Amino acid sequence: MDILGYLWGALTPLNLLFAAVGVVLGTVVGALPGLSATMAVAVLVPFTFTMDPASGLIALGAIYTGAIYGGAYAAILVNTPGTPSAIATTFDGYPMARRGDGGVAISLATMASFVGGIVGALALLALAPPLARVALAFGPPEYFWLAIFGLTLIAALSVGNTLKGLIGALLGLFLSTIGVAVVGGDVRYTLGMQSFLGGIDLTSAIIGLYCIPVLIDLVATRDPHLKSAETGGLRLGESARIFLAQKVNVVRSAVIGTVVGILPGAGGSIAGLVSYSEARRSSDSPERFGKGAPEGIVATEAANNATVGGGFIPTLVLGIPGTPPDAIILGALLVQGIKIGPTLFADEAGIVYTFIWGLLIATVLMLPAGLLIGRYAYSTVVRIPKAMLAPTVALLTVIGSFAIHSNPKDAQMMVGLGILAWGLARYGFAPSPIVLGLVLGQIAEQGFVQTYLIGNASGRIAEMFFGRPISIGIILAAVLTLAYPFVADRIRRRKRTVETAAAAPVGGGGVPEAADDGQEGARDLGTPIWAGLLAILGVLALWGAQGMSAMGSVFPTVIGAALAVLSLLLIGLHFAGRTAPAEATEGESRVRRVALAVILALWVALLSVLGFLTASILAFLAIIVVADYDRPAPRVWALWVVSGVLICIAFWWILADVLLLRMPSGLLI
Amino acid sequence: MRLIALSAAALMAAGAVSAQSDGGSAEDFPTKQMTYIIPFNAGGESDLSARFQQAEWEAVTGHPVVIQYQPGAGGAQAWSQLNQIAGDGYTIMGINLPHTVLQPMEGSVGYETDDLTPVNYFHYTPDAIFVPQDSQFETLEDLVTYAGENPGLVTFAGSGSNSSNNLAQAKFDGLADITTTYIPFSGTGPSITAVLGGQTMAGFNYATSGVNQGEELRMLAVAAEERLPAFPDVPTFTELGYDLVGGAYRGVAVPDSTPEELRQRVSDIVTEINERPDFIEKMETNGFVLTDIGYGDMDAFLEEMKAEYAEGAEALGIGG
Repeated sequence: MDILGYLWGALTPLNLLFAAVGVVLGTVVGALPGLSATMAVAVLVPFTFTMDPASGLIALGAIYTGAIYGGAYAAILVNTPGTPSAIATTFDGYPMARRGDGGVAISLATMASFVGGIVGALALLALAPPLARVALAFGPPEYFWLAIFGLTLIAALSVGNTLKGLIGALLGLFLSTIGVAVVGGDVRYTLGMQSFLGGIDLTSAIIGLYCIPVLIDLVATRDPHLKSAETGGLRLGESARIFLAQKVNVVRSAVIGTVVGILPGAGGSIAGLVSYSEARRSSDSPERFGKGAPEGIVATEAANNATVGGGFIPTLVLGIPGTPPDAIILGALLVQGIKIGPTLFADEAGIVYTFIWGLLIATVLMLPAGLLIGRYAYSTVVRIPKAMLAPTVALLTVIGSFAIHSNPKDAQMMVGLGILAWGLARYGFAPSPIVLGLVLGQIAEQGFVQTYLIGNASGRIAEMFFGRPISIGIILAAVLTLAYPFVADRIRRRKRTVETAAAAPVGGGGVPEAADDGQEGARDLGTPIWAGLLAILGVLALWGAQGMSAMGSVFPTVIGAALAVLSLLLIGLHFAGRTAPAEATEGESRVRRVALAVILALWVALLSVLGFLTASILAFLAIIVVADYDRPAPRVWALWVVSGVLICIAFWWILADVLLLRMPSGLLI
Repeated sequence: MRLIALSAAALMAAGAVSAQSDGGSAEDFPTKQMTYIIPFNAGGESDLSARFQQAEWEAVTGHPVVIQYQPGAGGAQAWSQLNQIAGDGYTIMGINLPHTVLQPMEGSVGYETDDLTPVNYFHYTPDAIFVPQDSQFETLEDLVTYAGENPGLVTFAGSGSNSSNNLAQAKFDGLADITTTYIPFSGTGPSITAVLGGQTMAGFNYATSGVNQGEELRMLAVAAEERLPAFPDVPTFTELGYDLVGGAYRGVAVPDSTPEELRQRVSDIVTEINERPDFIEKMETNGFVLTDIGYGDMDAFLEEMKAEYAEGAEALGIGG
C-alpha cells in the first residue's frame, strides 16, 4: 500500500474522535503551567493498551501536539510559559496582551503552531530516515555551541542593559549547576539539603521567575491586568494579514524547529529561542522585538510545534526518543509488542503511517479548536475580576510547580525564585536571561566536558571544538547574532543624537521602560546592593568549587569568577553614573505586594503541614482579599468565596484522581 | 469514550481512597487497587518494566495497579520518603541497584541503604559494550588489543557518572588491564545516540538499549550469566574470560512498617507475574534479564551486592 493509502486508514470516525479529543485535552493541559504533555501522555498510556495500536498512538500524539501549542496561552495572557517550549512566546506575547492585542497574539500563535506542526509532521512523513542522520551528526561539540548560540540571544534581549543581562545569565547558569552533576557525579551547591539534590527544576523556576513578579504587580494597582481591546475577540482578519506577511519567517522557523526537534535532548525551548533569535536578526526593525512584535510569536510558535514531528523522527527511526513524551510513546509501543527501530517503517508501515497521518489530522484540527479555546480563554482573562484572577493564577503556579515531581519543595523553590526575580526585575535584571542560563547551562556544560574528554583522549581538543563543519556553522551564526544588536544599536544611536530624541531603550523581556530623568541613577541604591550580593554569590561559588572533581569544577569556577567580576564592574559603572536607571514605581500599594508575597510563602510552606487542599483554599481566600479593590456587595463576596473553594477542590481532584499525583497529606486533606 | 474511561478510573481511585483497609489477612490481599510509585520519569527502563507488569497485574491479583511517578535526584527523592507511606501493602515503590547503594555513599541523600525494604528484585538490565556498525572492532578482543596499544584512546559513552555503566567500565578496565576513557551522558538515549553517531568509539550501556537499533549497532559482549534470548550471537563477558556480570537491578520495595506477611505477599505477586509467558516474552524481547530474588533471599542478595559495589565504588573514588 502506498503512503497515501494509509490516509484512509487514519480517517476512521474513531480515530478522528481521538485526534479531536486529544488536541483539546492537550491544549488545556499545555495552557496550565506545570501540567505537561509528559504527564497527560503518561496517564493515558494504560488506556491505549487495549486499543488498536494506531488509534492509541493518534490519541497520544494529538495530546502532545495540543499541549505544545497550549503553552502559548499562558505565555501570552499571564507572561508564564505553559510549557518550557513557549519561553520565547512571553517575550512579545505578553507585551501585546498588555496593550490590548492579546486576541491577535493568540490568533497568530494558533496559525503559526498549525503551520509549524504541519511542516514537522510532513518532514516525518516524507523524510524521516534521511533526517534521522541529523541526530547522529550532532555530537557533544555541536550541543555545546548550540547552547552558546542560545545564550547569545541575551545580548539581543538586553540591549542598553547588556551588563545586567549577562549577570542575569550567569545567575541562571549558576542555578543550573546545583544538584548532582551528570558529568563528574559531584554533589554541587546543595548546602547539604536533600531538596537541592535533584537541582533546580526548570519548569518550576520558569513559573516562579515569570509569573510571580506579574502576580505581585497585579495586586499592587487597581488597573486591569490586560488592557481590554477596543474590538473584542481574536481579530482574525487582521491577524491573518499579519501572518501572511510573515511567510519567510514561518517557514524558516518551522524548518529550524524540525531540525532542533530531531536532536535528542535539545527540545522545544531551544527551537523557539533559536528561531526567535533568527527572526529578530533578519527583521527590518529588531528594536520592536521584546516589546510586542508579532514576528516573535510567529517564530517561536511555528518552531515549537514543528519539534513534535521532528522529535518523532529519531524516536521511530532510531529508537531514540527526542523528548520525554516521545519516550513514553515509545514505551507504549513496546508494551503493544511493536518493535521500534530501523525496520519499523518497513515491518509496521500500517501503524507508522496511520499514526503520522493521525498526527497531521490532529494538527489540522488544532486550528479551529485552538481558535475556539483561545477566544474563550482570552475573554475570560480580560473580563474576570482581579479578585478572582489573582488567586486563580496563584493557584495555578502552586499546582504547576508542585505537579512536576509531586513535591512541595518545588513549589517552595518556585515562590522563593519568584520573589527574588521580582526584586531583581525592579532594578533592571530581567528574568529572561536568568531562564536562558538555566535552560542552556546543563547542555552547555555537558557538551563542553564531553568534548574536552573526547578531545583529550585523542589529543585533538582544539580540533574537536573548532574543526567540525556543523560546529563552525553554529559558531558563525552565534557571532552574527552577538554582533548584530550592537551594530544596529550604534547606528540607531548615531541617528538619535542627530534627532535628539528622548527615551533610551531600556530593559527587555517585558520590563517596562523607565523615564530617563537623570536623577534616577543617583537615588537607585538597589542596583549596587544586588550587584554586591551577586558578587558575593560568585565568590562563594568559586570557593565551593574547590572541593569538586576536575570535570565537575570547570563550569562552576568559570561562572563564579565571571559573576563576581561582572557584578563588581556593574557597581563601578553604577557609581560612575553609567548604568541604565531602574524603573520608577508610583501609586502602587506596597502593603498589598508584601501581603501577597507572605501569603504565597506561607501557602507553599504549609502544603504538607495542613494538607494541599486546606492550604490552597485558605490562601486562595486570602488572596481574594489582597487583590480586591472594589469592595463589592456581600452577595458578590459570597459568590467569590464559593467559586474559590470549588476551583481549589476541582484542581485538587484533577491532580489526585485524574493525573494520579501523590498529594501531600497533612493534618487535613 | 476516553473521558468515560477517565472518570471511571477517577471514581475507582476515589473509592480506593475512601475505603479503609479492612485489615484482611495476607491471603486475601489485595482487595482493592494498588499504587506503584516509579521514582523516575516516565519512559525509562524502570517505567517500561513496570508497564509490562501493569498489563498482567489484574490477572494475577484480581485488581488493577496504578503507576505514579515521583522523579527527582536520580530516585533519591522518592526513596527518602518511602517509609513515610502507610505500610498497608497497597502502595509499593520501584527500587534500583546500584543506585540505592551508591547514592548514600556519595553524600547525604535523605536515606540509608538499610532503611529501604526491597521485597523482590525481579530483573536486571545487563551492562554491554556496543560499537557502531562500521566500527573497526569486530570482537571484544579487537577492542582490548587496541586499547592495550593505545591507552586512554578508546572512549566509552555511558549514562551518567558513578552509574552502573561507569562501574562496569571501571571494572572492565581492571579485568582486561587496559585504560579507557569514560564519557558520561545525561541518560541512555543521548549516550546511545553518541555511539550510533560515532562521537565515541564505543559505548558501555544496558543491553536493552541495543534492542531498538537493530543492525546499526554491534554488541561485543554482555555482562549476563548466559547469552540473552534477544541476542543469541552475542557472547557473555564470562565466556570471553572476563568475570563481569551485572547491570542495573530493578525491584519492588515497601515501607518499613509493612508487616512480614504482606511483604511476602507482595513479593509473591511479583514472582507470579515473572512466571507469566506473555510477560517473559516481552521482557526478554526487549533485553531484560528476569531474576527470581524474592523476599526470602533478599538479605543474602543485598549483602553480596553491597560488598561488590563497595569494591567498585573504591575504583571510582566514591565515598572516601
